[in-house]
Amino acid sequence: MNPSSKPTTELDVIRVSLFRFDPETEAEPRYESYEVPHVPRMRVMDVLDYIHETLAVDFGYRWLCGSKKCGTCAVTVNGTPKLACWEEAEPVMTIEPLNSLPIIRDLVVSRDPHQDGLAKLQPLIVRTEPYSGFPEPLSATDMAPSYHLRDCIQCLACHSVCPVLQQPDTGFGGPAQLVALAELALDPRDGADRATIAEEVTKVFKCVSCYECERVCPTHIPIVGEAIEPLKRLVYRRGKAAGAQRARVFLDVVKVHGHANPTKVAVKTKGVRLADLGLAARMVRRGKIKLGDAFLKRPAAGAAALRNTLEASEDSE
Amino acid sequence: MSKKYAYFPGCSAKGTCRELDMSTHVVAKLFGIELVELENPGCTGAREFRAISELLHLTANGRILALAEQLGLDLAAVCDTCLLNLMETNQRLKSDAAALEAVNKVLAQEKLSYAGGVDVKHFLWVLTEDLGVEALRASVVRPLRGLRVAPFYGCHIQRPESVFDTSSDETPALDRLIQTLGGEVVCYDGASKCCGFHVVTVEEDISVRMAGGHLSNAKTEGAQCIVTPCPLCHTVFDSFQPQMEKQRQQPFGIPVLHVAQLVGLAVGLTPEEMGLARHWVGSDDIVAHLGGASV
Repeated sequence: MNPSSKPTTELDVIRVSLFRFDPETEAEPRYESYEVPHVPRMRVMDVLDYIHETLAVDFGYRWLCGSKKCGTCAVTVNGTPKLACWEEAEPVMTIEPLNSLPIIRDLVVSRDPHQDGLAKLQPLIVRTEPYSGFPEPLSATDMAPSYHLRDCIQCLACHSVCPVLQQPDTGFGGPAQLVALAELALDPRDGADRATIAEEVTKVFKCVSCYECERVCPTHIPIVGEAIEPLKRLVYRRGKAAGAQRARVFLDVVKVHGHANPTKVAVKTKGVRLADLGLAARMVRRGKIKLGDAFLKRPAAGAAALRNTLEASEDSE
Repeated sequence: MSKKYAYFPGCSAKGTCRELDMSTHVVAKLFGIELVELENPGCTGAREFRAISELLHLTANGRILALAEQLGLDLAAVCDTCLLNLMETNQRLKSDAAALEAVNKVLAQEKLSYAGGVDVKHFLWVLTEDLGVEALRASVVRPLRGLRVAPFYGCHIQRPESVFDTSSDETPALDRLIQTLGGEVVCYDGASKCCGFHVVTVEEDISVRMAGGHLSNAKTEGAQCIVTPCPLCHTVFDSFQPQMEKQRQQPFGIPVLHVAQLVGLAVGLTPEEMGLARHWVGSDDIVAHLGGASV
């Protein structure tokens, strides 16, 4: 953190550079500067309220509960998405809307991409077994896998920093949808084919495992470990999806060679494509890969013991 | 002062990035750090074992930890993704008795077991923390004076927060290393972001676009090279740099160095000892820059 941005008790004003944009009437966004009298323990939302009430009545922002429940007030503060209702104001703030969502006006973004995505997930528990009557015999152990996921308030902070969602046309559902899907998939009452939805609708294997979503989650959900990876495991057990195929090939290569061999994994996952030949030729020239690696099946010395160990643990779920 | 570690190179350092393994050994020797390479250690599973079964992930990593424990040594890794797999497993096995029991039950068939007695470190931390920046500074014979180095940390040495404590305002180890060696740290948008390696085999375009953006930002800020503690990030930035140039219609020509190679430049190793010729993007310009700046 820049030392100048640390809160101090003697602070007089908070300096805000505020993102302003009305796509219906303006060609480009602009940033307007405001000075807001500092009050101890002031939240970002208090700053926005002050600006709205006294300096710029036409300024658009959104909130509902003001207490970290509704998930509607997330904005980007100095580059990081935060809940305006929950974070203390910093002495100097650039406040912008969330990334990767269409802007309606100023800090208000459209939640439609997320809502539309959710609607495609069969977002209800789908019972395939008869209802056993109330109270349903559910134990804490039954519900444990989805326990943390129930803290999601759908504020879309994670959506806003996901680097895959910032790329064009990937079809990736993103972390917020995957958390919602995993909550259902890991619910013992649910019987829908969540593996197919995870693979075909959310394209879960396009996650790059960067953990940016976890970094900004205001409710500290272990999104990668408790939502995305359990969904990948569901797909792996069911299907022939490319991502699952890569995992299967990777494990087979380690069992044979005693270690991974990226060339062999790549070739066995997607075959030899013309487009890859330039890259392959470069890597061969620098001695990074050997052509034989892609095709030879040389069991490594000592690999048998490793293989037995891996095989004893791979079918545990 | 002898420092000894169990060494887990990982698949890149033994394959596509053998220059990482080479230069790490040369630098370790120079500083009296003994690296005992584990025998048939297997694989941490990259992001793949975790997508198959949790027990497979824990067992593959627990096996490596058990092998290090057998030697009575802490474990040093040179790949961010291996580091996270090993650290996360270690944390789990040290705190979850049922998980430890399940892993040890499988490891018993190889007469192995883990008791939680190993610490896992990146070789970067071995240099900056265990050896210390003073010892590093004392060995610099060719300061990286005027060399603008862009750090690229990689995701799995800084996230998730449940494994890596990043709450302090301390300068990141990689930045401290660059400064200690006399180089200038390039600040750019992208240093702590993702290179996309883990989808590159099936979704090359995503990775090339993501990493190309970071490279472009580093170039705009005047970077003469990138240094990364992760061979997977290295592979994306080096081997895929021509794809990024094509996609962005922008020439880069930015060499990408491993941590041990950056140290090697400053402590006077030859390009051959560091295996610089094994990179796709040549490092001649920065070697020449330092030749001019040497004392």
